[in-house]
Amino acid sequence: MNLYEHEGKAILARAGIPVPRGVLVRSSEAVGAAHGSFPLVVKAQVLAGGRGKAGGVRGVRSREELVVAVQNLLGSTLLGESVRSVLVEEVLPVAKEYYISVIYDQTAGRPAVLFSTSGGMEIEASHPPRRFFLDSTVGEKVSELVSEDERGELRKIIELLGDAFVGEDARQIEINPLVRTSDGRFVAADAKVALDDDAAFRHPEWSALEERTVLGRGPTDRERAARAIDAGPLAHRGTASKYIEFGGDVGILFSGGGASLANMDALLAAGGRPANYSEYSGNPPREKVASLARVVLSKPGLRGLWICGGVANFTQIDETLAGIVDALREVRPRYPIVVRRAGPGEEEGRRIMEEAARELGLTLRYFGAETPMTETAGVLMDMIQSLPPNTRINPNLTNSGDSGPFGNSAVA
Amino acid sequence: MSILLDHHPRVLVQGITGKEGGRAAVAMRVYLPAGKAGGTNVVCGVTPGKGGQMAGGVPVYNTVAEAIGAHPGIHVSAVYVPPQFAKSAILESIAAGIPLIHVVTERMPIRDVAECLAAARSRGVRILGPASVGVIAPGRGRIGMIGGDDPSRIYAPGPIGVISRSGGMTNELSWMLRRAGLGQSTSVAIGGDYLIGTSYADLLPMFETDPLTKGVVVFGEVGGLYEFEIADMIRARRFTKPIAVFIGGRFGKNLPAGTPIGHAGALIERGRGTVEEKEEALRAVGVHIAERYEELPSLIRTACNL
Repeated sequence: MNLYEHEGKAILARAGIPVPRGVLVRSSEAVGAAHGSFPLVVKAQVLAGGRGKAGGVRGVRSREELVVAVQNLLGSTLLGESVRSVLVEEVLPVAKEYYISVIYDQTAGRPAVLFSTSGGMEIEASHPPRRFFLDSTVGEKVSELVSEDERGELRKIIELLGDAFVGEDARQIEINPLVRTSDGRFVAADAKVALDDDAAFRHPEWSALEERTVLGRGPTDRERAARAIDAGPLAHRGTASKYIEFGGDVGILFSGGGASLANMDALLAAGGRPANYSEYSGNPPREKVASLARVVLSKPGLRGLWICGGVANFTQIDETLAGIVDALREVRPRYPIVVRRAGPGEEEGRRIMEEAARELGLTLRYFGAETPMTETAGVLMDMIQSLPPNTRINPNLTNSGDSGPFGNSAVA
Repeated sequence: MSILLDHHPRVLVQGITGKEGGRAAVAMRVYLPAGKAGGTNVVCGVTPGKGGQMAGGVPVYNTVAEAIGAHPGIHVSAVYVPPQFAKSAILESIAAGIPLIHVVTERMPIRDVAECLAAARSRGVRILGPASVGVIAPGRGRIGMIGGDDPSRIYAPGPIGVISRSGGMTNELSWMLRRAGLGQSTSVAIGGDYLIGTSYADLLPMFETDPLTKGVVVFGEVGGLYEFEIADMIRARRFTKPIAVFIGGRFGKNLPAGTPIGHAGALIERGRGTVEEKEEALRAVGVHIAERYEELPSLIRTACNL
């Protein structure tokens, strides 16, 4: 989970790392709460990088300029994200700018600190940061890169940062720039923090964080409904919560993380436009798959449904397909459905699905291991293309004709 | 010969009294019974508080130390423990000096994984996973549920090594090879997490020295850096056999950074680890790149002159 700057700074402040004085503003009426002496800086709260260059950070010298900047930024779209809040901060007297981040180094399989004596917007291109493993000596090693009078302070900051990274279950903490002020303080002028969603079970405080945007917009009702599936009593049995809503017209029920990547690629290559991304795996029970299938099928304007996965190892094909049938029984879709599944319980799974197709009058083609899974993307697209003309007109899709492979992702 | 399980491994299952742990214990034992031309010998299980019971046909102990006391010479611990408890379970097996720990658990916190990897490094223990469905040497044995209830329907001995982060795709690729008349030397699901104990690059030198393996196919993914290590291994000539790779997740470039798709390790990051970048790095060292995963069997057959 990526954090907004103000949330990241709250974590830094809690860890004892100085951050600029500032106030979060969510409406232009609330701007009165922003005080302090001008100049101030107004920073749009978005998750995307490159905000400064895109005009999301503005210096203001007067209350009038402040109000204009807040009004302009709030509700605007910046780097594809709607701006829901701005951070109004003091302007720091900058003497030097450094870059520092803590990440997990995949090759080494351990946390590492990246540091550069040149911070700011062009950092990665001009001054690649140096890498140090996060251990008890890291503060000392990194501080050797700065002048003697800064060492003690920087070392303390790095040690606090390392503790925060581990203690807060972060995947990444980046401070760019870490400012050395003209009066000799270190202050984190920005904060890019990503938390590890898999550690949420030991961080009840995370549930108080505001909802993340998905694809730059607020989460849709379907995305919220999907997210709730794995939070229920069957949380520990498989996963069936992954659902991202797009503006296309092909409903997706993929099984398996790797397979879902190959299949999305294959659908786009076959000219299909996904209505969603979704994926279940780890042998989830029938109830959870049924809930996810209900979410997928509830989207208006579908013209096809693709149920596809690789040859499963331990996900029961019969139980998971029975869950999808539960949802199909309620919706009785008229559009074509293509299934490609194989693995434990595949004969029974096929029987359940084909029997439901006969009973519910579904237009369904079923494939097993004899057909490569991505090949069935073309089968579904051919079925969709050969629908009678009257079923091809879809009023829900009139606005998404030329908006790229995913259609218009800012779904109403 | 095969890699990772070229002896007849004696296996302990942690979390054996759980649904998937018990199922895996039975599945490993029935694929090839111990002593019958190899096979995987599941000898015991561990679940704290359930010592003294039987599960999956073997005795259960409260701790790994107790289990090892009663059954010395364990080669592998297979970890089927919920994510909250996985770290302590893995550390227990590391402390006991079990040389290979196969971690099936999905959604372990990264911090916990990093702690386990550090402990494993210091004790010379190999971790396969987390989020790995297992490893299979067709006709010789398996660790984990890889291949499902009856692996002989998918797997057959042959000349090609298979590596994927995805358990489903390890199966799928192995099946595609079988359909093409090529079998598998060893198929390994290395796990989909951001940090894993055994990467593609760790396995390639093993396949290099394995006389049964003529070539290797890989299902790679968008995100992260592990696929770049394949190029490094080839450049260092630590892997010289033919290799064909498919990288999934091309569609990810249309999505904002941080969008969670596929595995935890397939996270879209700003400007790093795109499919195109990985393909380019691999092509530059002579790797055969598949546009669609189902092309991998024919690519590797041609490359190996089979």
